[in-house]
Amino acid sequence: MPLEIRFLSKTLGDFHLRDVNLTIKDNEYFIILGPSGAGKTILLETIAGIHCPDAGSILLDGVDITNVPARMRNIGMVYQDYMLFPHLTIEKNIGFGLKQQGLSGELIHKSVQEISELLGISHLLQRSPDTLSGGEQQRVALARALVIRPRVLLLDEPLSALDAITRRKMRNKLARLPSLTGISIIHITHHAEDLISLGHRSAVMDGGFIVQVGHPDEIFQNPKTPFVAAFTGMENLFSGVARESHEGKIIVAESVRIHAVSSLNGPVLFGIRSEDLIFSREPLKSSARNVLKATVTKIRIMGSLAWVMVDCGLSLTGVLTIQSLFDLKIDDGDTVYITFKASAVTVFPADE
Amino acid sequence: MKDLFRAYSGSWFKGFLILLSGTLILFFCLVFAGLILWPDPHSLIQALTSEEILFAIWLSLTTSLVSTGICAIVALPVAYALSRYRFFSSGLMGLIISLPLSLPPLVAGIALLIFFGPSVFGTFLQDIGIDIVYTTTAIIVAQFFVNVPYLIRVMRSAFDSVNPRYEHVARTLGASESGVFFQVSLPMSRQALLAGLTITWSKAMGEFGAVLLLAGATRMKTETLPIALYLNIATGDLDLAIASATILLVISVVTLLIFEHWFGTRRII
Repeated sequence: MPLEIRFLSKTLGDFHLRDVNLTIKDNEYFIILGPSGAGKTILLETIAGIHCPDAGSILLDGVDITNVPARMRNIGMVYQDYMLFPHLTIEKNIGFGLKQQGLSGELIHKSVQEISELLGISHLLQRSPDTLSGGEQQRVALARALVIRPRVLLLDEPLSALDAITRRKMRNKLARLPSLTGISIIHITHHAEDLISLGHRSAVMDGGFIVQVGHPDEIFQNPKTPFVAAFTGMENLFSGVARESHEGKIIVAESVRIHAVSSLNGPVLFGIRSEDLIFSREPLKSSARNVLKATVTKIRIMGSLAWVMVDCGLSLTGVLTIQSLFDLKIDDGDTVYITFKASAVTVFPADE
Repeated sequence: MKDLFRAYSGSWFKGFLILLSGTLILFFCLVFAGLILWPDPHSLIQALTSEEILFAIWLSLTTSLVSTGICAIVALPVAYALSRYRFFSSGLMGLIISLPLSLPPLVAGIALLIFFGPSVFGTFLQDIGIDIVYTTTAIIVAQFFVNVPYLIRVMRSAFDSVNPRYEHVARTLGASESGVFFQVSLPMSRQALLAGLTITWSKAMGEFGAVLLLAGATRMKTETLPIALYLNIATGDLDLAIASATILLVISVVTLLIFEHWFGTRRII
């Protein structure tokens, strides 16, 4: 259990952390997902010791480090914009932390060489930071943080400033770091995509709260709040009223009756993933409980997928492959049937 | 027709503005050239190498370098504190460092004169044998007092422009608070520091009002270049006055060039 965060609260200007509880395991790659302004960076900075929390505590290997200054925490941090010292060469940048430990120049040089080879930046050592590309700068920032062998490494949006190809490469490199170096990593991001492709235990943050912790599959399949649902890409979110009937649980929204599986009654929010909607020309006979007649209002083609918006009393968005779209000959204004299972409907209490 | 008129009025307006700017620049050049060309070159060189002017140059150089050094020692930490920390007097300090922008140095001079002269503190200093008023030390004190707020201002804006995240990273890498200052914040503000020191030194060379009141205008004793200019114009010794003026003018031009070189078009004051 390298890192335990208990009931951490901090207010800094407009940003808040509220009662954050997290445990990061050994060699774990932990992702925190949240929109801008959710308090993710403050959380990292508080863990790193830049800010003193208003309440709560941080434990590293069972030792309370809440009041330990940043320089003695052995927690590394890499910012989104890398923050390479512009007045130092790449070699001096990477060696900065070792120099603080008072190591000899020779020893620093050797360690810098080692980590640079590992990250493939040996050829950059004599350059100045402003001559490097984004991806190179990031590897230098990583090397600078890793060379002092931190216990935990904090990554603030490490992929969002990179182009698509570099991002994919870097994502794989990052994912291997914990097993390669034996450190734990906390990675914050506002891309749900990072969550899926890195696929480790994750937390979702909103308004300073941790709203859900779990494996990405679990978070996507079973979002605990409408926010998590919307943020992880659940396109169809509605409010309605749930009640028991002879056919089982029914939610009525805009006079449309939806079958669902839930123990909730009364006002609820519910969501259906776009990919769970099945399109057909004729009503489908299947085990799926919901079959709705709808009119196509808009078709948006992106790559090999087509996002189809339909109106069935509710405005739903479904996703089809281009192939299916052509096979079914679906066009604007057409009448189609939408089928989905009662269990595909995720229901939340409407308390907010 | 309307378009034609618009085009003409546009170029007429533009032409007028350019003409006005050109005239102003010409006016400035004529005034300064006139100053240097007024005495015949021979007597200008003679005045420049006279004992009095050489003394004034030497005194101005030493006092301004010392006062600039003290300014740096005081201004750097204060500017850093104002930029990074919030403390009880930081708001007041912000006002105080803006004061010299509007306060005439003469006022600072008379305030210093009272403080080091007849006040309780001044009397105490004299009792223990430290005389400030009308000495060379007074020149340094006056220059420091007038200039230190400027340097604080320049350095605070330089420190403000260093993203605190650089310092956060340095701290996670094991740097102490002072280590962060000396290894990150200060080197990242190096250009501003050089420019700030240059302008502080140049202002110290030219400081008149505060020096006049605190150090007096004693020939060959507290006679800095501006004081030499003042004394010689008062006695009608035009060549010597122009000699000091010429040196001050050259220093200003050089300072300006250095400042522009290091700071480009960034405006920080």
